[in-house]
Amino acid sequence: MYIYPKKYDCIVIGGGHAGCEAALICARLNLNTLLITISVDAIGAMSCNPAIGGLAKGHLVKEVDIFGGEMARNIDETGLQFKILNRSKGPAVWSSRAQADMPAYRLRMKHMLEHQNHLEVKQATVDEIVVEDGKIKGVITNIGNEFLCDALIIASGTFLKGKIFIGLKEFHAGRAWEPPADKLSESLAKAGLVIGRLKTGTTPRLDARTIDFDALEPQLGDENPIAFSFKTKNFNPPNYPCYLAYTNEQTHTVIRSNLDKSPLYSGMIHGIGTRYCPSIEDKVVKFPDRERHQIFLEPQDANSNEIYADGLNTSLDYEVQIAYLRTIKGLENVEIVRPGYAIEYDFVNPIQLKHTLETKKVRGLFLAGQINGTSGYEEAAAQGMVAGINAAMYLMDKEPFILGRDEAYSGVMIDDLVTRGVKEPYRIFTSRAEYRLLLREDNTHFRLADKSYRYGLIDKEHYALIQEHIKKLNETLSHFKNTYVMPTPQFNKKLESINTKPIKTKVSLSKLLARPEVNYKTLQIILNNLPDLNETEIQQLEIEIKYEGYINLQKQQIEKFKKMENIIIPDNFNYDNIPGLSAEIKMRLKEVLPKTLGQAMRIPGMTPVAIQIISIFLHKKNVQSKPA
Amino acid sequence: MINDDDIIAAISSGYVESAIGIIRVSGKHSLELLKKVFHSKKCDYKSNKIYYGFLKDSSSKIIDEVLVSVFKAPHSYTGEDSFEINCHGGLLIMRNVLELILENGARLAEPGEFTKRAFFNNKIDLVQAHAIANLIQSKTQKALDIAFNQLLKKNTTIIDNLREKITFLMAENEVIIDHPDENLSTSNLKEKLILLSEITHLIENLLNHAKKGQYFFEGANVAIIGKPNVGKSSLLNLLVGFNRAIVTEIPGTTTDIVSEVINLNGIPLKILDTAGIRQHSNEIEFIGIQKTKEMIDNADLLIAVFDSSRNFSDEDKVILDIIKYKKNVVTVLNKSDLPKKFNFTFLSDPINISCENKKGIDDLKNRLYSTLLEDYNESEIISLNTSQVLALKSALKQAKRIAKSYKKFLDPALISIELQQLADYIEQIIGKIENEDILDNVFKNFCVGK
Repeated sequence: MYIYPKKYDCIVIGGGHAGCEAALICARLNLNTLLITISVDAIGAMSCNPAIGGLAKGHLVKEVDIFGGEMARNIDETGLQFKILNRSKGPAVWSSRAQADMPAYRLRMKHMLEHQNHLEVKQATVDEIVVEDGKIKGVITNIGNEFLCDALIIASGTFLKGKIFIGLKEFHAGRAWEPPADKLSESLAKAGLVIGRLKTGTTPRLDARTIDFDALEPQLGDENPIAFSFKTKNFNPPNYPCYLAYTNEQTHTVIRSNLDKSPLYSGMIHGIGTRYCPSIEDKVVKFPDRERHQIFLEPQDANSNEIYADGLNTSLDYEVQIAYLRTIKGLENVEIVRPGYAIEYDFVNPIQLKHTLETKKVRGLFLAGQINGTSGYEEAAAQGMVAGINAAMYLMDKEPFILGRDEAYSGVMIDDLVTRGVKEPYRIFTSRAEYRLLLREDNTHFRLADKSYRYGLIDKEHYALIQEHIKKLNETLSHFKNTYVMPTPQFNKKLESINTKPIKTKVSLSKLLARPEVNYKTLQIILNNLPDLNETEIQQLEIEIKYEGYINLQKQQIEKFKKMENIIIPDNFNYDNIPGLSAEIKMRLKEVLPKTLGQAMRIPGMTPVAIQIISIFLHKKNVQSKPA
Repeated sequence: MINDDDIIAAISSGYVESAIGIIRVSGKHSLELLKKVFHSKKCDYKSNKIYYGFLKDSSSKIIDEVLVSVFKAPHSYTGEDSFEINCHGGLLIMRNVLELILENGARLAEPGEFTKRAFFNNKIDLVQAHAIANLIQSKTQKALDIAFNQLLKKNTTIIDNLREKITFLMAENEVIIDHPDENLSTSNLKEKLILLSEITHLIENLLNHAKKGQYFFEGANVAIIGKPNVGKSSLLNLLVGFNRAIVTEIPGTTTDIVSEVINLNGIPLKILDTAGIRQHSNEIEFIGIQKTKEMIDNADLLIAVFDSSRNFSDEDKVILDIIKYKKNVVTVLNKSDLPKKFNFTFLSDPINISCENKKGIDDLKNRLYSTLLEDYNESEIISLNTSQVLALKSALKQAKRIAKSYKKFLDPALISIELQQLADYIEQIIGKIENEDILDNVFKNFCVGK
């Protein structure tokens, strides 16, 4: 065995979205970092859909951005189309999404890694982790090289014992036709981690020359696109169309009559799949009454002819894929470039992790991304960011970096993962966030800048800039609350001109703006001394004023939530000594080892009575440990 | 979770008819509370002493004549300042005393809470603490058996239905927010409003069931009305079984309201004898009549008494007018032992009674019971505590608010908060609706996911 003489502070395994963010953040925090990947060419690769963002995912991208990650900047530079989703609804649930130029995205990310100080990239397959006295020591590659480190972040995606299914054929692969990592998960099991198996799938990629786009509905992005990153200047991205197509009864008939050729329905796949990202065969079987399903045909690349068929993820036989595709209007003559496939892979149930994403079993070992049972680039990136920061904090012996459910979507996701564990691939939704009205995309930077600055993840200049914005918003808010208009006939006439009711008494500007039919721009028509605000600032002002009652309600709920989060359960708390708890609840508590009473409450199956009993014993412990 | 500063109170002798009732109160500032309500000539609030006096409410009305034992920290069961009231053991009296204490700043103790505090204050060691944990477990379980489990067993369909409908509205709202570009068919305004009115109906149904259940725990008020000298007081005495109200032949003898509690198949029935209602009266009677009117409004059930041995009079007409719009009325034809002067054919199914011969009383009792419970099958009746009833009432209001919000096409992000509030209000009745439950519903009912 060759032991590489240089010792790294932190090694990251995997060059996907989690691995890239983790490695960049570690290096940016001045740790000597090594990223090991099976294929350097595949760094930053988008294995599935060519899009970044979407509902709740857009939030994650912006959180990665404020905490020093790269995803937002990367998509801003390589996006083909940008769009705010949910525009027709209130701004609290607006979400950014962009179509990506997949190769451009990948190459820019590789470029960022290659030019990052303190970061090295090496191509290798890791077979084993080295653990000594419960602490991580290094990794051993498949050609017998050992690399030493004090912290290890594994972001192996779907590569652990990856197995691909196309129809009834199966072969070992980590992603498409890339080699899997067949030994690493056994090494993790030896270190004491419990390994499970999940399944996901992707869609066929089509040849654009064989698609009749004239028969399809084009869908463009926003005319005035908004960037993901607060650092992006002079944002002027292209606007490539996607196309909308529909399956029909004929498509469904083809699928139905070929289910015996599906590894899902023939019982070949044992991993558990996602309900929110069902295969087309699942959709047809579970919703037999639906006459059609939507398909989005999305460009993968500005310069190639490959088209991604979003909505058609499938593991059906190659022949069947061709047959059902050609029943779809516009795809009558379509040719497949790469077929859709299902992939089964090993994962580590994240219940075995702390909120820092460090494993409870091995000190200095962190896991991020799909290995934790999540799905999605954004979910992976956010975990990479959190794991990277925490690896650094661990090495510098500093306070761990933990985001609360009341602070960020990343916090919601990680708390869900480590408290509830994973049964199917986990995806973020806005509904998972209890305080959705406060955790908005538009205020991500404002909410989290302080924390980011405290952990050294944002530079002074950018921090000052954000502070300035916050100040301006607060000033405008108080201007609106403290400025009154009088019920003069002239003013009421003006109000009528913007289609809102006249006023009878003097009224503050914020009361006027709170009216559903009034917005900042209409007020600007009749009031000439309003401050000059940009789109984002207007949006934030309107949200703060129009939603005030609901926002205050959520703030109160957060106060209640914090009360329970502040009741700490000590690490050595012994649940075996507590009577009155059922065996099952004890088992779950010992598995999760909740940090706070609040977290204990969120464990599935927990009862109010159990919480009360725990609180009694916590209190008793506190009373006893106090000096007499 | 742990509110050390709260004053807690409970009927520690149990809520059953007995000679003496004991109300236990504990908390840091409990003696200040006692000073507000306890009026005693000799009380100096020394520890481990018993004092004689009266409990009075804020209007100085006497609630009961009582003995109070004072225990000061740390020499009490809980280790806090505390006191115990020995009052008379009637159900209503115990309830009134407890309410007085609650009105003055205490809250109802949770099961095992006194013992829990004793434990916190090191009055009990760890070995005993184990027993307490088990006690809380079992007591809470018992409370659950009585309320929640009973509810589940008897009203599975109502509860399941309610939970399913609310979850569906939440799920649909989340689909609208989280899957905007998937062109999913969600229900229109009219369908949503129908669903909401079904939810409202289910909650009302539960409340009605609970209202009947409350009769068993908290009693029901029955007012006897009728023109002067129709035999109201005699009827009261007959129902109670001893002479309580003053009975004379002089019309208008009952000037104040006289009440007695009887046990009607398990329902503590508070029977109120009213001043006779007539058109001409002197001043004293008028006060009684005012009270009578209030009482009629507050009664759960009215017994309207007519005299079949006398002719129908204008005064009877007044009574008919009163009961015309009332739902729960039992009509009684008294003096059935005397020759009939008038056939009250317009009364639906009156009960013939003779107070003089004590006849017809069992019929009357049966009718009172069945009228109180209306069409509800005894086995379907549930008991909800006051906070559960309040929660259901808040849920009703919230459902109305959500209907308005739907009509205004309020932002789904805000609708979601309103729906969550609705679910929170009745969480203890229908169970907590977790995010996972909503997602399950989403995946079951909507074909989401690209």
